[in-house]
Order: sequence, then structure tokens, then C-alpha cells
Amino acid sequence: MLKLFGSRQKEERPINGSGDSNFLIDLTDVVKAYQTPVGDFIALDGVDLKMDHSEFVSVVGKSGSGKSTLINMITGIDRPTSGTVFIDNTAVHTLREGPMAEWRGRTIGVIFQFFQLLPMLSCVENIMLPMDFCNMYTSKERQERALHLLEQVDMAEHAFKLPSEVSGGQQQRVAIARALANDPPLLAADEPTGNLDSKTADAIFELFQELVDNGKTIVMVTHDNELASRMTRTITIADGKIVDEVKR
Amino acid sequence: MIRPRWRKVLRDLLGNKVRTMLVVFSIGIGVFAIGMIVGTQILLDEDLSLVYSETNPAHAVFYPDSFDQDLVDNIERIDGVKEAQGRSGFSMSLQKGEDEWVNLNFVALDDFEAQRIHTINYVSGEWPPPERTIIIEQASLPFTNAEVGDTITVRASDDRLYELEIVGLAHDIWTEPVQFTQSPNGFISLETMEWLGFGSELDELHIVAEGNELTRDDITEISTVVENKIEKSGRTNYFTWIPEPGEHPAQEIITPLLAILGALGVLALLASAFLVINIINGLLAQHTQQIGIMKAIGARRNQIVLMYLVSVVIFGILSLIIAIPLGGLAAYAFTSYLAGLINFELLGFRIPIQVIIIQVAVAMLTPVLAAFIPVVRGTTITVREALSEHGLGKGQFGSNFLDRLVNWISATVLRLSRPMRISLRNTVRRKARLILTLITLTLGGAIFIGVLSVQASLLGTLDDALSYFAYDVDINFSQEHRIETIQREALKVPGVVTAESWIGAGARRVLDGEEGEQFFVIGTNAETEVIKPILLEGRWLLPTDTNSVVLNSLVLKEESDIQVGDQIIMKINDRELEWNVVGIVQGVMTGGIGYVNQPFLAKELRFVGKATGVQIVTEQDDAEYTAAVEKRLRDHFQAIGLDISNTSLTTDTRQSIESQFNIIVTLLVVMAILVAFVGGLGLMGTMSINVLERTREIGVMRAVGASDNSILRIVLVEGILVGVISWLFGGLMAYPIGFYLSDLVGTTLLESSLRFIFATNGALGWLIGIILIGTLASILPAWNASQLSVRQTLAYE
Repeated sequence: MLKLFGSRQKEERPINGSGDSNFLIDLTDVVKAYQTPVGDFIALDGVDLKMDHSEFVSVVGKSGSGKSTLINMITGIDRPTSGTVFIDNTAVHTLREGPMAEWRGRTIGVIFQFFQLLPMLSCVENIMLPMDFCNMYTSKERQERALHLLEQVDMAEHAFKLPSEVSGGQQQRVAIARALANDPPLLAADEPTGNLDSKTADAIFELFQELVDNGKTIVMVTHDNELASRMTRTITIADGKIVDEVKR
Repeated sequence: MIRPRWRKVLRDLLGNKVRTMLVVFSIGIGVFAIGMIVGTQILLDEDLSLVYSETNPAHAVFYPDSFDQDLVDNIERIDGVKEAQGRSGFSMSLQKGEDEWVNLNFVALDDFEAQRIHTINYVSGEWPPPERTIIIEQASLPFTNAEVGDTITVRASDDRLYELEIVGLAHDIWTEPVQFTQSPNGFISLETMEWLGFGSELDELHIVAEGNELTRDDITEISTVVENKIEKSGRTNYFTWIPEPGEHPAQEIITPLLAILGALGVLALLASAFLVINIINGLLAQHTQQIGIMKAIGARRNQIVLMYLVSVVIFGILSLIIAIPLGGLAAYAFTSYLAGLINFELLGFRIPIQVIIIQVAVAMLTPVLAAFIPVVRGTTITVREALSEHGLGKGQFGSNFLDRLVNWISATVLRLSRPMRISLRNTVRRKARLILTLITLTLGGAIFIGVLSVQASLLGTLDDALSYFAYDVDINFSQEHRIETIQREALKVPGVVTAESWIGAGARRVLDGEEGEQFFVIGTNAETEVIKPILLEGRWLLPTDTNSVVLNSLVLKEESDIQVGDQIIMKINDRELEWNVVGIVQGVMTGGIGYVNQPFLAKELRFVGKATGVQIVTEQDDAEYTAAVEKRLRDHFQAIGLDISNTSLTTDTRQSIESQFNIIVTLLVVMAILVAFVGGLGLMGTMSINVLERTREIGVMRAVGASDNSILRIVLVEGILVGVISWLFGGLMAYPIGFYLSDLVGTTLLESSLRFIFATNGALGWLIGIILIGTLASILPAWNASQLSVRQTLAYE
């Protein structure tokens, strides 16, 4: 069903950066400190994390423990204060803003808790937007591909509606399709089901499961221990440190 | 297929139509104003130059003693003179109504078919005019109260009446516009002139010099040769006029006027640029999250920058849709109006390509330049920052001195109600936005008050000029009479308080053998009651003075080295004589004048005790009274056999000058209103952004019990407050702007500075205006704010 997702083989990707790791994700001694009026706040405190292709990893922890910061390190949305971050052999911590955006657009599909679809673009246009920014595919291919992705997430009939015209669960499906737009090897999701009812959340989770089965790697922050227990690995974070790691 | 990113840009523009219209209109107004002014300049230049050059305008006009065709033929043989032609000009009184007479200016030509210079062109009826008939200049016809085919009555200085049939119409672009002079123009043959008692000789000599692209200097050179030739024939040349080559005389006034209007147009554009900055800043603030998302899914910053810059370019393009046609129409209408004043027909409606190019460039560049920095700054935000922005209120309040001051004043000093305090504090929350809005509104207000100050200054200066020369009636006789007789007889007429005769002549200063610009020397009495000079330096004339002269400040504009106590040489009627400069007086709207004692000048000019005119001061100075006295004077002088050639009433002069001033002021006010309008749009934009940005806050206020009315009031008061603050600054700035504009208008149009009067009424009027603008600009946003439900506002993203 999801053959399109794996259409671009990992071997075809050029190897960027100086890292020469077998891991898709390779974080070494990552520290992130935020300056606040009452002194530095250490969000991440010497985190080491390695992840293989086709893993489905959950990051759990209490509010403020550093889960989102960890995801932001992986997606390049935030930079480490010290330490190194290699994603697919790219030294993410060294990228400047512009190359970073383009790299992210091609390498990582980001999924947000509040879906974050652009309100004035239809569902299919929202999916075409990352292809446009990263100059992927021809203009004609973009629409075909976007429609196909919508089909995969069971949203084909809503393709030309605006986000405001579909439900929250449906918006998240569109957001997932958007994350897949440039066929990235890695998806990063920050509480993607946090804003959905449990039935819808379950459906989204199943969609993720299918993606992993088809070769994608997914890192997902979640509050839901039940969901976490269904993934290949669960990392627990507290006070900026990985305090527990369960592999299944 | 349009790329998705451009679809987003287009939908953003369509999605907020009010904002789009606001920006489009405000850019459009600036571009419209510039199009109108540049268009007018070009249309006028092209059409007037063409129409004017077709009449083969003279390079120089000489006013010598009367002459015949032989002199013309001799002049034409001068090397460097291409063509020469003579005509005669004089004026008589035309009966307009039962008891209403106006001056009718005649031009008499030898041969209407053989005109070569300054041609008068056939329009309709008979051509050339047979003896004892007249052809009227087409624009003058309404001023004669007659039609073609009617017979008009003209009166000679000896009160004899003549009847002339109007046989046709002609067009003469060269004569002074009848709207300004109120004196119609007509054309007759030399035979008719002789019949009217003005002889058959010519008294105006027009020449066209040899060569192309002649400069003023070239023409001055050949003019000197012509002047010598005239003098050699035994005639005096009283005056030589060299118009700006190739330029209609009216252009001298219109060009600086358009430059001033153009400057105001640029200010309107500047005001709209500030509005663009504010709106783009507001738009970016609203789009923070979207910018973050776009970056998260792979957009590089320069791609986003380009998206927003393209949207401002689209604003520009949309504004052109309004600005090009409206600017073109306005330019045509304005040019037609000016053409009507100058007395020519435009060649037809068109929008010159240069105007379109300028408008396109301005409409594209202005918003891009204005938006560039906001866009570059607004897109620096990182994905993390963009996504983590939430909660109440942007625009920190309370963190600096100004905030705390406003807080203290509103709560402790003024003890304002809580909603009022919110209004006051909201006003200063977004300081950069407030400043830009204030600049726009202040500019509008300052220009508005400044322009009204120009009007006040023009009228004030006119008052000065007219009370400077305090006479109410000016009478000119057809020949010299004894001053004693004139004055004695004038005083016999009831209503006459003072009668004074001046004598005058043209003068030039001679310095190191070089003659300067011509000015006028007036011989008056030291104890004159008619001239009330404003003394700047030194003293006024004493009865015992002989070769003493008091110069006005306008003489000093040309001869800036002269100081009180200097000895200067003045050439009057070809006689050079040394004079002592004893005083300097203010010059008001007259050109350069030197005042000297009458007996001494009369002796020098060899006409002792005689004058050709008299200035009368009447008991009352209203129009009706002075007109009645003028009629009595006319009757009286007629009865005793003194022929009057013409009379003029100061009230008429004032009216005619005021109507010219009003044309200028109206144009300035129109531009000021445009600037004020952009200011109003700016305020509206700011208030909309403020309300939009505070939607969540409004919801919170609502949730804790604020009524529709208090929300409405909070927004309205903020809008009005911004207006009133701008009024304070605008009033202050209006002074220098008004002063500078007055000076500019004075020096370019009247060749003298104006006495600056600050338009206090204008300032008060603007206060009312700005309160209205503030109300109108914030009523829509305020209404929208009051209509939001709690659920909507808190859900607002």
C-alpha cells in the first residue's frame, strides 16, 4: 500500500558532512542551556542517542523534562550549546540557517501537535508547499504526488478543502502527508496525537506504524505510555537526561 | 500552474481584503498625485509649446515712440533679425452694462493676412475685420456681455462714444488671460484705430532673431542692436521685453507651482510608505507562526523574504490600476483648467508614456523599499521562537520609563476610568508603530495647517501691499496736467479725502559702466499720506531732500551691495545722476521701487508741476463707496475738460489678485487633503492591526465582564488619542513648513517674501478634522472588536 514512501532508496542519498556513522541519528554529549533572567536553564544535559533506520522511537517524560528540546535538536529547529548532532551523516549542528531549512525540508518530515497547516492553502497545496520550497519534482509531479500521499492517508476526497473545513484528526493526516512530501527518511513528531481523541489518535498511530514498516524512521514525543509501549524503543527523559531506555 | 508558495501569497492578499485595499489605496494616492503632477507638467509642456510655437512667438518686444512700417523694414534688415513686425496696442472703456464700464484692450494690425510673429488666429466670422468693426478674442467674449453680430459701445478719453460691430472671433494665446485682468481683448484694423482717434502709427515692435536654440544672452545681444537702430531713428525705446525663449509667459508661474505641488505629492507618497511599513510589520507579526512552519518544512529565509516582497509588489501593481487612469484623468482635467486660464486648447486626452513609467517605478519601488527592512527582520525569527509564541499581548508594556509615566499619569494624575487607562496605555504599547502612524498623521496635519498659513500669508501680504499704497482709486489721464489743478479739482469731489499725484520713470543702476535690472522711480511728497512705507533701515524722505532716494528691499535683491549711506548712480530717462541712499523700505508685491522727492525728480525729468495721474483716498474703502466716488470723479474731471484714459479701484485689484491667490491655495489644499487622507488610512491600518493583535486580550476583557460599549470605547479613544497627539506635533511642525512654503510661493510667484502669518484657525480646524479622522479610522476596527465573542477571540490564531 505504501510503496511510494520507499520509492527513493537510502543508497541514492549523497553522504553529506564529515560524520561517517552507520546510524541515521547520532547525538553525542548534547547539552542545551537556555539563558533566563534567573540564570541558565539546562534543558538537555549531556545526551547521547543513536538510532537506526526503520526504528520507531518514542520519547516520554514529564512536562519540561526536555523531550521537545531533544526533538528540536534532531530536526535542527534548535541548536545544541555543545555536543554534536549527526543526522543521516549530516553535521546538523554546523549548518547555517538557510542550508538547514533546505536540508530539513528534504531529510526530515516534521509533524506538530497543532497540525500547523497553512490556513489559506488547500490540503493538497499544503502538501505541495515543501516540494516547492525544496525544488523537488516537477510542477506536474508535485500535484500527482500530493494527491497520492493524500490517498495513502485516506484524505483524497478532502484534497481541495481548506484545513478549516476538515476535522482535527483529518488535519493531522494531512500534516503527516505533508511531512512525507519530499520523501524524507526520518519523521519527527512532537506529540502528534496530543490534541486528538483516543480513537483518532489510534488511527494516526497505525498510520505511523505502516510508515515504519515501509522503511521510515520515526521519532515521536508522547505523553501516552500506552502508545509508547507499542513502539520499538522508548526513551525516558527527566531533567534533561536520558534516564531510561527500553528496546522491544 | 502557479507554485504553491505564490498561491499562498495571492490568497493572503485576497484573504484580508480590507488590509489589501488600505495599502493599495494609500500607495495609490501617492502614485496618483505624482502621476497627476508629472502628467500635467508634460501635457502642458508639450501642448503649450506646440500651440505657442505655431504662433511664432517673438524673441523680443520693443515699446518705442510710435513708428511706421519703414522702421519695421529697417529693423528687419539688421543682421541677426529674422523677422520683424509692428502692431499697436491701446485701451478704451467698453460699456458692459447700463452703468458698467470695463477696459477693452485693442490690438491693431496693418494686415491680418500677413501676420508672421505672435499670430492671432481666425476662429469664426469675418476675417480681416472691416473698418469700424472688431474681432473679439474668443475667451474674452463672455466678458463683453455681447455676442458676435452685436454692436458694442466704447468710450474715448474725451468721452466720445463709438460703436463697433463684433464681426468674428479670433484666438490669441499671447495676451494676458482675461480671467485675471477682467479686461477683454479685441482686434481691429489700423483704419479703425485711426477712426477711434489713436492715429495710424504702430507702437509695439516684435522681432524673431536668426538661429535655433537661442539663449537669453543671444537675444539680449541682438536686442541691443535693435534698440540702437530705434534710437537712431530719433525715437526713444521705453522698454524692451525679452520673454524666456520658447516658453509661454505663463510657464514661468506654472512651473514652480507644479514643483511645489510635486513636493507635496512626494510627501503623500512618503506618508503612504510609512503606512506600508506599519501594515507589513503587522502582517508579519500575524504571520510569525506561519513563517516558522514554512521554515520547518524546508523554506529558506530568502524564499520567504521574496514571498513577502512579491506581495508588496502586488500591492504596488494593484495601486497602479487606480493610479494610472485616475492620475491621467486628473492630469488632463488639471491641464485643461490651466489651459483655459492661459487660453488654449489641449491637443486631446492621453497619458504620456513617461508618466506611466514614472508611476510604475514609484508604485513598485516605494512599497518594496518601505517593506524591505520589516520583511528581512520579520523573517529572521527561528522556527522554535515562531512556534513558541503564544499567550496574551505582544508589545511589552511597563518595561520602560515612558510606560511607567503614562501609567502614573493615567491612574494617579488624571484618575481616569479603567477603560480610559487601557486606551492610554495601549496607545504607547507598540512604540515603533505609534511613531510611524504619528509621523504620517503629523505630516498630514502640518501640511494642512502649513498650506492654510500660506493662504493667510498671501492675503496678509496683499493687505500690507494695499495699505502700503493706501489709495482707493487710481486715475490716469490721457495727457499731462498741472498737479495743482488735478489735486484741487479732485478734492472738490465729495468723498475724496486725499489726492496725490506721483511722477515716475524707469531707472537702472549704473555700476562700473554696467546697467543693472530695471526698476521704477516714483517721485512723491515726503509728507505723502498715500504711501505708508514699512521702514527697514535708515529714514524716509524729508521735504528738504534733493538727490536722496529710499529703495525698497526688492531693488536690493538685484543690487545686494547697496547700503544706507551709499552713493549710487541711477540712469533715469537716459540721464545718469548720483543719488544718496537714505533709507531702505520693505517691498511688497510691486517689484523694485526707488522713492524720491517729487520736485527734484520733476526738475530732472523736465516736467515741472505736471503729472498724468492721481491717487485718491476716499472716506470709506468698501467697494460700493469707492465705485461711487470714482464715478463722481470721472464726471467731475469730464466736466472741467480733463480726459481720463482709465481708472482702477483698489477693491477690484484686490478681488482680481485674491482670485489668483485662491487658485494657488485651492491646489495646495487639494494636495494637503490627499496627504491627510493617507494619514487617516494610516491610522485606520494601525488601529486594525492593534485590534487584530489584541483579539485574545479583548476576549479576556470580555470574559471578565467588559460590555460591547466599553470595548468600542477603548479602541475609539485610542484612535482619537493618536490623532490628538499627532495634532500637537503637526501644529508645531506646521510653523516651519508653512514658513518655508510661504517663502517659496512668495519668491517664485510674487518675487518677494510674504509676511508669514500662522493659520491659527487652520490649526483649530485641523483639531476637529483629526478627531473626526481618528473616530472614522478606528470605528470599523472598534466595531469588529466589540462583535467578537469570547470563544472566537480565545480560539483566534
